[in-house]
Amino acid sequence: MPEPADAASAGSPARRAAPRIVGQVAGRLRFVALFAVLAVLPYLLSYSQQEIAVLLVINVLLVSSYRLLTLTGEWSLGHVVIMGVGAYASALLAKRLGVPVPLSMLIGACMAAGTAAILSFPLFRMKGFYFLIGSFAAGEIIRLIWKRFTDPFGGPKGLKRIDAVPDIETGFLSIDFYEPVNYYFLALAVVSVSLFVLYRIERSRIGLTFHAIHWQDRLAESVGVDTFRYRTLAFVIASFFAGIAGGLYAHYVGAVNPTRFGVDQMVYVLVWAIVGGTATFHGPILGVVVLTVINEIVLRGLGLDTARPLIYGAILILSVLYLPDGLESLGPRLRAWLRRRRREPAAAAGGEGGEAA
Amino acid sequence: MDLLWQTAINAMYAASYMALIAVGLVMIFGVMGVINFAHGELYMVGAYCVVFLYAQEKFPFLLSVAAGLIFVGIVGLLMERTMFRPLRKNPLGGLIASIGFLLILQTLAVLGFGRRMGHVPPPTQGKIEIFGAILTYQRLFVIVAAILLLAALWAFLKRSKFGWALRACAQDAEAASLQGISMNQTARIAMFIGAALAGVAGALTAPLVSPSPYIGHSIIVTAFIIIIVGGIGSLEGAVIAAVLYAFVHTFVTTFFDGVIANIVGLALMFAVLVVRPTGLFGARERA
Amino acid sequence: MNAPADPPISEAPILEARGLTRRFGGLVAVDDFSFAVREGTIHGLIGPNGAGKTTTFNVISGFYAPTAGQVLYRGRDISGRKTSALAAMGLVRTFQGSTLFQEFSVLDNARVGRHLGARSGFLSRLLGTDRASEADADARARQSLAFFGLEDLADEPVSNLPHGHQRMLGMAVALAAEPKVLLLDEPFTGMNPEETRRMMDLVRRIRDDGVTVMLVEHDMQAVMNLCDIITVMNFGALLVEGAPDEVRNDPAVIEAYLGSATGNGAGHAA
Repeated sequence: MPEPADAASAGSPARRAAPRIVGQVAGRLRFVALFAVLAVLPYLLSYSQQEIAVLLVINVLLVSSYRLLTLTGEWSLGHVVIMGVGAYASALLAKRLGVPVPLSMLIGACMAAGTAAILSFPLFRMKGFYFLIGSFAAGEIIRLIWKRFTDPFGGPKGLKRIDAVPDIETGFLSIDFYEPVNYYFLALAVVSVSLFVLYRIERSRIGLTFHAIHWQDRLAESVGVDTFRYRTLAFVIASFFAGIAGGLYAHYVGAVNPTRFGVDQMVYVLVWAIVGGTATFHGPILGVVVLTVINEIVLRGLGLDTARPLIYGAILILSVLYLPDGLESLGPRLRAWLRRRRREPAAAAGGEGGEAA
Repeated sequence: MDLLWQTAINAMYAASYMALIAVGLVMIFGVMGVINFAHGELYMVGAYCVVFLYAQEKFPFLLSVAAGLIFVGIVGLLMERTMFRPLRKNPLGGLIASIGFLLILQTLAVLGFGRRMGHVPPPTQGKIEIFGAILTYQRLFVIVAAILLLAALWAFLKRSKFGWALRACAQDAEAASLQGISMNQTARIAMFIGAALAGVAGALTAPLVSPSPYIGHSIIVTAFIIIIVGGIGSLEGAVIAAVLYAFVHTFVTTFFDGVIANIVGLALMFAVLVVRPTGLFGARERA
Repeated sequence: MNAPADPPISEAPILEARGLTRRFGGLVAVDDFSFAVREGTIHGLIGPNGAGKTTTFNVISGFYAPTAGQVLYRGRDISGRKTSALAAMGLVRTFQGSTLFQEFSVLDNARVGRHLGARSGFLSRLLGTDRASEADADARARQSLAFFGLEDLADEPVSNLPHGHQRMLGMAVALAAEPKVLLLDEPFTGMNPEETRRMMDLVRRIRDDGVTVMLVEHDMQAVMNLCDIITVMNFGALLVEGAPDEVRNDPAVIEAYLGSATGNGAGHAA
């Protein structure tokens, strides 16, 4: 289903030949514009929409980290539970041991990564469908442990009153992270750095090796790629960033419980990734943003609260059937279609005259 | 001792309806190579057929169960035609689409019947005692019905051309189509039977479980455990694994608690996946 | 990059199988099979269909563990080791047909082949300080492409390449890994005579550069002209071993090939 970015760029030598500087400047400008929009955005939103924006930013990291795992060709159903490991760990570290909050998030993320490292030994004996089910089983076991053991996990009710990110108080600056706007910027900063790291990994030789394992693991193995190690690496990195997302979530919402990291939530991550498309880095991000906007603004606005899962389900089925490469493929498709439209009337106008015009 | 025997009787009841569900899931996988994530919701729809026809509209119970079987079978046909057939080359796509379908069925149940658990008054009263253990008529009825249905299915698969076509498709779809087996026809029948079995399981157990729109989740987890332990693609394995799992789960629930039983069940599945991915009773491997 | 100085070339084989056996359920695909490949030779492994050549190949290259027996590389027992570990020791295999990273460009295929040569830490990958080792990997990947005449196609997607070129690229990927022993799985299958001749030249050049070559092949003509030593298998076991001329005229070999139902290449052998 996914397709490596390298192949896409290799397919268009013409674009590569275009003056590089112009491309770079345009790329930078696009980023500046994007960040300008992101900086202004919260001030255009209502309070409740600001809260949604915070969660959206966190979900962008969740789904992007999920994509890194899918680069090696394996689809996990345990990713949200891994996010939960980061959330629970960070919350417990802060609540029980008094670890300062930003540090607890980092340790929590490391514990999520460590969980993945341990799980990789049994899980990567499986492939494809078996991996999918195996990751599901592993995730459910972890989730049921949270549910069963009230001490320290709080049982079915989970953990409440989780320490917030401490306020910043200096002479001229005071930031209260209870405010969604402020937390939005904190999350945005953390997620931006994380996305940058994920992007660098994918564009490096490590990303090339991940793709190679996906497409031909035996060939990769034959030239010395230890596929087990690289699958584990992808799983560990993806889990680290899922853990970061979990920490950001726990200390914003202030409560976590086993249901929050259930398979329903995993379904949403799958939907975002698949509707957006996993071939490119921006595909899943596009998916989560578009679907969240549809979900929160359009459907909520129409008062279709109860029917929302139904519409999600329908979107999922329709996109698997009719848009197998995801929303990200819409742009190129549209461009190709426009080009054809432009060419056809020209061709109809007759031979060379049409081409000259 | 009494408690052990009683627990064994309870386990037999659990095994009977779990076997129906798991056999249906395996059949669908066998022919189409797709894991139907919405299988638990098919069970749920079957249960709501009884909630609607029997509890609300006062039709006879047996008629409601039969209607549930046929209605859910038709839902299965719908799934085959609209999702699994166009996605035959893309098993992951089929799985994802079935997740979408799951959400649709769940939401329709919420819209139609509300979020709360439905109540179905038991159609039969009374119980029998077997060496001191109590078995209600309702549970006995589920056990007998499940055995009859599975026996009928077994006879059908042995005798009919379809049984042969099913095995051929499960082994090698391409070779089967070369032998003149219609893939679409086989898939339709498998999907109808597979879905109907889940539906009838829901319909039969509706008076015993208080159906809710979200009941499918625990059902699908159970069904996954059973088909993995039994060896995915093996119908006999699914039945044996259903019995095995029902006993393990019921006993652990009785002597510890339900959550621990779920953990044990999942751990059992996980162990099988690690040590013997073809299942304890299956030989073939399909990935 | 440089491995510790190689021991002086000796008569000791670089690759050896002793009593190799591989069963699948009740079926014995390879049965107490032994052979030795001497360093610097081109060694052919042939046999009628179903003789167990491919299974032997898969056991040597680490895809299957042997049921019994040993595979020795430079005298060390390597049986049952992972394929990637064998590649790190210098034992690299190719595949039949066009087993390639079809979605990559030609150059990226060869770059993956440089996996072992382009070592760098995780952080330096992130920070981009692996540029030197990557530039080196790029250059060597291009060298490997150039060896097979593919340098002009470096930026093409593999799927645009004709079949013959894809076969060459498969070799280029393996060669980029700088093997000591190159295991070729049916390198001439599906090639026209001109392509076969070119490929034979290239294989000879690879040997002359100091790489030991072992190949499994159906095309008898190519095997007879190319190999220094040929091992013939039948029914999972050793039939005959020797120089091409000895093998060609061996009655047991002729019979084995004539007796086999499909007998690919039997015509060439005559």
